[in-house]
Amino acid sequence: MAFLLRRLCFYLAAFVAAATINFFLPRLMPGDPVQIMFSSAGAELPPESLQALKLTFGFVDGPLWQQYLTYLGSIFSGDLGRSIKYFPLPVSTVLGNALVWTVGLMGTATIISFTLGTFLGILAAWRRGSLFDVIVSVGAIFATSVPAVVTSLIVVFFFGFTLNWFPTGYAADPALDPAFTLQYIGSVLYHGLLPMLTLCTVLTGGFAVTMRNNMINLLGEDYIVMARAKGLSDGHVMLWYAARNALLPTVSSLAIAIGTVLGGSLVTEVVFNYPGLGNILYQAILARDYPVIQGQLLIMTATMLVANFIVDVSYVLLDPRLKKA
Amino acid sequence: MKTNPFGLIRNRKALVGVGIIAFILLVAIAAPLLTPYDPGARVGRPHQAPSLAHWLGTTRIGQDVFTRLIYGARTSLAVGFGAGLLITIVGTALGILAGYRGGKVDEVISFFTNMVLVVPNLPLLLVLAAFIGQASPWVIALILGGTSWAWGARVTRAETLSVKQKDYVKSAEMMGEPRWRIMTFEIFPNLISIVGINFIGSVIFAIITQATLEFLGLGDPKVVSWGTMLYAAQKASALSVGAWWDILTPCFALAFLGIGLSLLNFAVDEIANPRLRTGNRLGGWSALIRSGEGRL
Repeated sequence: MAFLLRRLCFYLAAFVAAATINFFLPRLMPGDPVQIMFSSAGAELPPESLQALKLTFGFVDGPLWQQYLTYLGSIFSGDLGRSIKYFPLPVSTVLGNALVWTVGLMGTATIISFTLGTFLGILAAWRRGSLFDVIVSVGAIFATSVPAVVTSLIVVFFFGFTLNWFPTGYAADPALDPAFTLQYIGSVLYHGLLPMLTLCTVLTGGFAVTMRNNMINLLGEDYIVMARAKGLSDGHVMLWYAARNALLPTVSSLAIAIGTVLGGSLVTEVVFNYPGLGNILYQAILARDYPVIQGQLLIMTATMLVANFIVDVSYVLLDPRLKKA
Repeated sequence: MKTNPFGLIRNRKALVGVGIIAFILLVAIAAPLLTPYDPGARVGRPHQAPSLAHWLGTTRIGQDVFTRLIYGARTSLAVGFGAGLLITIVGTALGILAGYRGGKVDEVISFFTNMVLVVPNLPLLLVLAAFIGQASPWVIALILGGTSWAWGARVTRAETLSVKQKDYVKSAEMMGEPRWRIMTFEIFPNLISIVGINFIGSVIFAIITQATLEFLGLGDPKVVSWGTMLYAAQKASALSVGAWWDILTPCFALAFLGIGLSLLNFAVDEIANPRLRTGNRLGGWSALIRSGEGRL
């Protein structure tokens, strides 16, 4: 428990750090920070709305620390301001709607590629030096050294535009109303398949390599030799003696990989015109919608911290030693 | 496995990796000799398919794609190696300092390192670049250096902790050598393989990230680089109008360079790390993981 509590405090500090960057960035730029933040608003925003926006972002009369506290106050009460491009929608609504799609896409891709990569890694390590190992290893080099944006563009070109097998935009058929019908769910799956496959291509190699590495480290251990000497079956030793222990460091590397997954899903969404955070962000960058751009950093950081915390909890569950500590 | 000290020359992965990078570097340097066109000039009709006059076709506004590709390699390589160097210097310095000094210094540096590691990198870069606005390649290199050193610092710190227990460090301490001297001349040379791997991994990361930021429209569109080529092609809907040469050319160039650097990274790890030479190939993968973790 003490371990988890310590992690929680650390995550809180990290979140405040992200908010601090948001606060100081416009104030560090040359020129008037209010002008910078809301330059794209022009005359479209009613004055009282602009006043409310300024308040949210801590532009109040008073010393800097007072402005800073005002800003932190509005963030911790869940007020991220209003989007300028999608005015009068609040930033939290705009990003919240998109987050559902991103987390769905990212979560599925992470689970699939983590499972697949781990199994490939186990088998490759078990048959080290075999043709299978070489194929997995070389495949991983290629898959992990090509940028996600490149993989996405190549996939969308071949399967979307050339072969016309898959749609190249939207999360579902725009003609359908969102509902829990078989047709709508089918459409969501059909539209999500290509971006998800792309993300899996990008991610699986990394997980496979991590698992293979950890496995090989363990294969020389005495208890593996002992298990073999006892005459246990190969599969039993591989899964219950080696893989089980090798999984632990793999899980902790998952925590670091989540940031990568987030970044990868951002560009993949832009390429596939998928209505997740990445696409919203892309539109916000083009429109210089700073409240949305700043809000996404906070939401992404929060998502990353929650994911890290889940990994921490599963680590405690997997490793009994941590429960006592 | 690899017992010869001149491994870099004999190692096939290294040879292929170095070959790819050298090829791209040569083409980038010789760019003006290889093409009669100016990378920014309109030299043909819009979106012409590849032909003898335009080897890789033309862009939406009639620029020569091949010319932009080889001039763009200059920017991508310069930013990649510049930012990679910066990331490595910051990460190595902080890692050695934290690992060797220990105590309060270590606590402060480690706290910040872990903090930077959990704040997602790309969203942070996006916010920074959005406020700077149309960031030039050098500005992108600078902000990459300022935000992406954490992984290197963590790895270097861990390695420093084991090196500082060695006898030669202890004896240098007995002789009263100043701390900075021990860190620079006793510890740093023994970390050189970690530093090298960190450097190549950072170069890969920087090239990918610069291309991503520019693809998302955060770069300076007047600069010719592989990222801005992607941005312009995507904006001109090159794929939906069938101008595949416009968008796939920078794609394959980036993939080619990424593979070259990864192969080199892999080989350096295999050769520089004595444990790998006598034992199995497992440690070679740590380089790959490192380069995989930075990718977007």
